[in-house]
Amino acid sequence: MFLLWLRVAAALYGLAAVSAFAAVLGHRPGWRRICLPVAGMAWFFHLVSSVEMLALAHRWMPVGMHEVQSMLALLITTVFLLIAVRYRTLSFGIFAVPLSFLLVLVPALGPDKYTFSSPVIRSGWLFLHITALLMAYAALLFSLCASFLYLLQERRLKDKRSPGFLDWLPPLDTMDQIAQTTLVLGFCGMTVGLMAGSLIAQESYGSAYFADPKVLLSFVMWGLYIVMLFVRRSTGLRGRRAVYLSSVVFLVMLCVWAANLFSSVHRFTAS
Amino acid sequence: MKILLTGLNHKTAPVELRERLAISPEKLADETRALLSHPGVREGMILSTCNRVELVVCYEGREPELALYLNEHFSVDAQSLEPHLYQHHETEAVRHLFRVASSLDSMVVGEPQILGQVKESYSAARSVGAVGGTLERLLQGALAAAKKVRTETQIGSSAVSIASVAVDLARKIFGSLEGKRVLLVGAGKMSELAARHLLQQGAGSLLIANRTQERAVHLARKFNGHVVRFDDLHARADEADILITSTGSTEFIFRIPHAQQFLHRRRNRPIFFIDIAVPRDVDPEINRLDGIFLYDIDDLQSVTASNLSNRTREAQQAEAILEQELVRYQRRIETLDVVPTLVDLQATAEEMRQAELRRAQSRLQSLTPAQQAAVEALTHGLMNKFLHQPLQALKAAAREGDLATVDAIRAAFRLNGSREAAAQHETENSASSSNEAELTAASDDND
Repeated sequence: MFLLWLRVAAALYGLAAVSAFAAVLGHRPGWRRICLPVAGMAWFFHLVSSVEMLALAHRWMPVGMHEVQSMLALLITTVFLLIAVRYRTLSFGIFAVPLSFLLVLVPALGPDKYTFSSPVIRSGWLFLHITALLMAYAALLFSLCASFLYLLQERRLKDKRSPGFLDWLPPLDTMDQIAQTTLVLGFCGMTVGLMAGSLIAQESYGSAYFADPKVLLSFVMWGLYIVMLFVRRSTGLRGRRAVYLSSVVFLVMLCVWAANLFSSVHRFTAS
Repeated sequence: MKILLTGLNHKTAPVELRERLAISPEKLADETRALLSHPGVREGMILSTCNRVELVVCYEGREPELALYLNEHFSVDAQSLEPHLYQHHETEAVRHLFRVASSLDSMVVGEPQILGQVKESYSAARSVGAVGGTLERLLQGALAAAKKVRTETQIGSSAVSIASVAVDLARKIFGSLEGKRVLLVGAGKMSELAARHLLQQGAGSLLIANRTQERAVHLARKFNGHVVRFDDLHARADEADILITSTGSTEFIFRIPHAQQFLHRRRNRPIFFIDIAVPRDVDPEINRLDGIFLYDIDDLQSVTASNLSNRTREAQQAEAILEQELVRYQRRIETLDVVPTLVDLQATAEEMRQAELRRAQSRLQSLTPAQQAAVEALTHGLMNKFLHQPLQALKAAAREGDLATVDAIRAAFRLNGSREAAAQHETENSASSSNEAELTAASDDND
């Protein structure tokens, strides 16, 4: 049944993506009214599907690429909905909703055949570790996106071009607030995720886990995150430099993601 | 009932003439009453704004001489008035009113005030009983068309004055203007206007720096602001989020080092410079700094011009919407023309049914109440079935303007009097459009 709910969610994501484009780029007030409710419904069905799937599998951890993709899409939509409600802007919908749609498309076709047999996957700590880190990735994605949009709007205002195809961009101040808030949210997620991961690894593998490439990179990323937060907060960094800084952290984040291939800890083979 | 619209506007008459005919909102109801008592006028409304004075009347028989009304009431001689007046009849009058209400005939196309002014005139005319069925339908149609143009086009979305462009840009930078501080450097008329606009849109407070202290104090009192000594300008300018400069200085007042200091003290929070002065007060190079946004008078004017051209593009789409609304309005009016025939046909059929029931009364007396109710329902149903086709044919004929079919149906069913007489009778009886809506609904029940 969870697959049916996921397919319903995928269809609704598709509709929400179309309505987001029409509302934001086409300035259609009618689409504006339906975009948020449809995205909300997609989020709800997606949540139901995820909970049902995990309950059926008697575990709290998304396993394999399909499930992780699906969970990431759910978190991206969550952040989008929070931003839309808090800042009254749908502009991020033209990135976030299509991305969620694409991320759930493959999982909606069928379950992943890749499974773990380790008993660790039934641990609540692991669920916290993965969810918090995925939340941090989603938040960082939004922060980077907001910084890019800030840069675009800033260039547009400086070039003194009249409102044209970029008229949908939210005000600079709104994007700055979104970039800052999601950065803090991401930092909290990353800190909680790393702490939970460290606890599990310490328990299972001893102190050797720290030599794992993915673990090392994760802590580098956490350090960079702190630097970025500190610089932005203390100097009020905005515009071009903020984009550079966010991009560096984002690149490291991609490396951390890719480091799964070389991580024995994350393949549960070290023990 | 025929429709006539007479008037003059900013395109046909100079302001000297328009101001002589202008009617204040307080006098609008009295003047509308006077218009209603003018010979030949059955219904009427006056639209008076700073750009137009228009009389919309409904009449029967001889066309009322509205130029005479203007002549008598405003003491403007006919010869000086006539070259500036325009007159529109029937469809053209409807089209003109639709365009006016939708702001397509305004000096600044898309401006929002005109719709409110049409509503005020409508309200004043209603209050003195000058609005009957015809004018009611016309105005409802005009208001609906204007609403559709507003919602389906972007005609009113972009700013087209220097002050409103400044507000729009400030919003693009700061989002909400709430709590934002504006610094007025120099106290020219244009900068005062921009500051007023920003304050009206929610800006928090106003600082004023001027070489002549008295003028600064005067403005500070006027806007409930604070005076900044001109000598302290560079030390305090960073307190403001928006700086409007309009001094007579021949040299730049703000240069790159100043802006860098401001940004440092503000921890890179953006500053919006609006330089209205000629020669300019702000070095254009500072726009290259991150966090500084500088617009001079030419920049503001080019945004205004671009927005105006956008409005012109939207206006073409609006014209197409208005044509559709005009067709819809005319169809409704044509349908209403056959309402008296629809009513006559139903009434005649009902009379025949009742007569037949009365004739059969003696034979039906033996039936139980339930059986009698069944007979009643049966005859009613049969009547509706028989009437269905003629009623549909009447409505189709009305839509296509096929009056011959309407006359043929009247003759075939021996309906009393001619179509014109029935319509005349109906017009007299139907003061409100709701009546007609009910009649149309009644005929729809047979569908």
